Amino acid sequence: MPAEKNIYRPIKAKLTDVIAESPTIKTFVLIPEEEFTFSTGQFIELSVDGIGEAPFTPSSSPLVKDRLEVTVMKTGYVTDYMHNLKLGAIMGIRGPFGRGYPVEKFYNREVLILGGGCGFAPIRSLLYNLAAITDKLRKVTLCYGSKTPEDCIYKPYISELKKIPKFEVFRSVDRGDSTWTEKVGVVTTLLEDVKVDIKNSVAVVCGPPIMMKFSTLKLLDMGYPEYDIYLSMEKNMSCGLGKCGHCMMGKYFVCKDGPVFTYQEIKDQPNIWS
Amino acid sequence: MNYYFIKKEAWDKVMEALLSSCNIYAPVVNEYSQDYELLTPALIPSILYNKPKPVSPLKIFFLPVKENVTAERKDEKPRIIIGVPNCDVEALGLLDEIYLDESYEDIFYRKRRENTLIISSDCFDIQEHCHCTSYGVKPWSENRTDLSVILSKDTVILRIISQKGEKFVRETLQASPVDDKSMISFIDVRHREIEGLLSRTNKSLPDYKETGRLVRESVKAVWMKHSATCVSCGACTTICPTCTCFLLIDKPGFHKVKQMDACQYPGFEKTAGGEDPLKELYERFRNRYMCKYVWKPEKFKHIACTGCGRCIEACIGKIDKNKIFTELAK
Repeated sequence: MPAEKNIYRPIKAKLTDVIAESPTIKTFVLIPEEEFTFSTGQFIELSVDGIGEAPFTPSSSPLVKDRLEVTVMKTGYVTDYMHNLKLGAIMGIRGPFGRGYPVEKFYNREVLILGGGCGFAPIRSLLYNLAAITDKLRKVTLCYGSKTPEDCIYKPYISELKKIPKFEVFRSVDRGDSTWTEKVGVVTTLLEDVKVDIKNSVAVVCGPPIMMKFSTLKLLDMGYPEYDIYLSMEKNMSCGLGKCGHCMMGKYFVCKDGPVFTYQEIKDQPNIWS
Repeated sequence: MNYYFIKKEAWDKVMEALLSSCNIYAPVVNEYSQDYELLTPALIPSILYNKPKPVSPLKIFFLPVKENVTAERKDEKPRIIIGVPNCDVEALGLLDEIYLDESYEDIFYRKRRENTLIISSDCFDIQEHCHCTSYGVKPWSENRTDLSVILSKDTVILRIISQKGEKFVRETLQASPVDDKSMISFIDVRHREIEGLLSRTNKSLPDYKETGRLVRESVKAVWMKHSATCVSCGACTTICPTCTCFLLIDKPGFHKVKQMDACQYPGFEKTAGGEDPLKELYERFRNRYMCKYVWKPEKFKHIACTGCGRCIEACIGKIDKNKIFTELAK
């Protein structure tokens, strides 16, 4: 008889590469020891043995089945340990959990994507997915904002994106320097330069809560309907199973009902931006 | 409903015989109160029947305070739990919805549910804060359990609720069916008496259906006032039969230890980015009420407060939920 599925047990994954994306952000390339697949926008619980686990949305393509990339900002106890791991380390993965981006709903439409800081991680996974189905899409516009030029992540990938037909990329930083030739300002200022057919478009937002809030307000102001704005919510997803209660956002368990919601679904729930 | 009966002396002997193959728990009086004990032959005559709730909620038998949920484990001995009040039985509805969820079933919870025969007990008495009927919960069980026990002088009467219960009564207890209805006619009379007593005691409480609106419409000042003596100890959630939030703690070897947690503790919802929607004490206090009376009823089929009153008894800040609702309903 096969062993019963234990929802709490992680599978092991070997750390095979670490890419420094910025002074505080690294991408970990993992080879899971068991078959592991996910849909773009779903998240995993990634653990350091005996230390702790934390939720991350993979930043790699959901179409690549033999490895997984997770982009991690050094921001606390568990992520500090992650940033100090050596190649070959064994990590734990539980998941994938939750509801990701409904890519099929983007067919025959323009996709306007707003990303901020490490919020580019789930978006990169989505972009990989969208790049594989450009024939089904009208246009993909990425607006990405970060604090400074050195905080911009995925620099080589940005160059690749610009070469993909139907893809446009706009970047901004809050504070520029002598090397920066693109926009200076918060990410929503990029929308001044974007030409978008709102009626035939959906918007995707992922980033820090304050950026998500003002981006959503700007999109509503531009005329996007609430049901066409997709938000990837960040809460304290601990179990990933809709049980532990840490990520409750009103009637939703963000881990199970989300993490991707339309603004229409969550606008009346409490504390969506905190 | 079908009833069976067995003489108390014979019932006690069967219980004693079962101790070799089962763990049997039942409420008995202890130094401080009445609570479940793991039975020994000496304790069998001390089992309390038809008394109001034990101190501990039923959830402790299915969701331990702390357990390793990744370690291999042997099958546990079958269990019988006697004397469960219906406020705790009703709470199992929500626990089952969360832990037997088809997409993410908790195998430890399921095995314990399957492994346990629950013999609830009709309440023929009330405690100071009992208010089950205000929330539509009867002080006796008719579903979700296996049997319900009523002690009448030297006779144990059992209401059959599940097939598992009926099998136990026929094969293990070898009890006789009640054919003479006069033997059980007093049960209805006692039910009406207790319902009347609960209704009179709690006449100022709003109906459960109204609680969501009252909580939702209450402003910050209301929660600031009522949380003034809260010390975030989490006693209310620990003792609640429907509160089941937990923390997963990592141990070497990729083990996970699941430990009961409480939304009343600071940092419960804090994210790595530093956002904390429940930073202030009044926000955590309000969160528990919103969860029980607004969000859980929107999300689940089963109620998240069964009116047991334990949270009132456990509160060291002497916060009385019933007084709050009485005030909100004015």
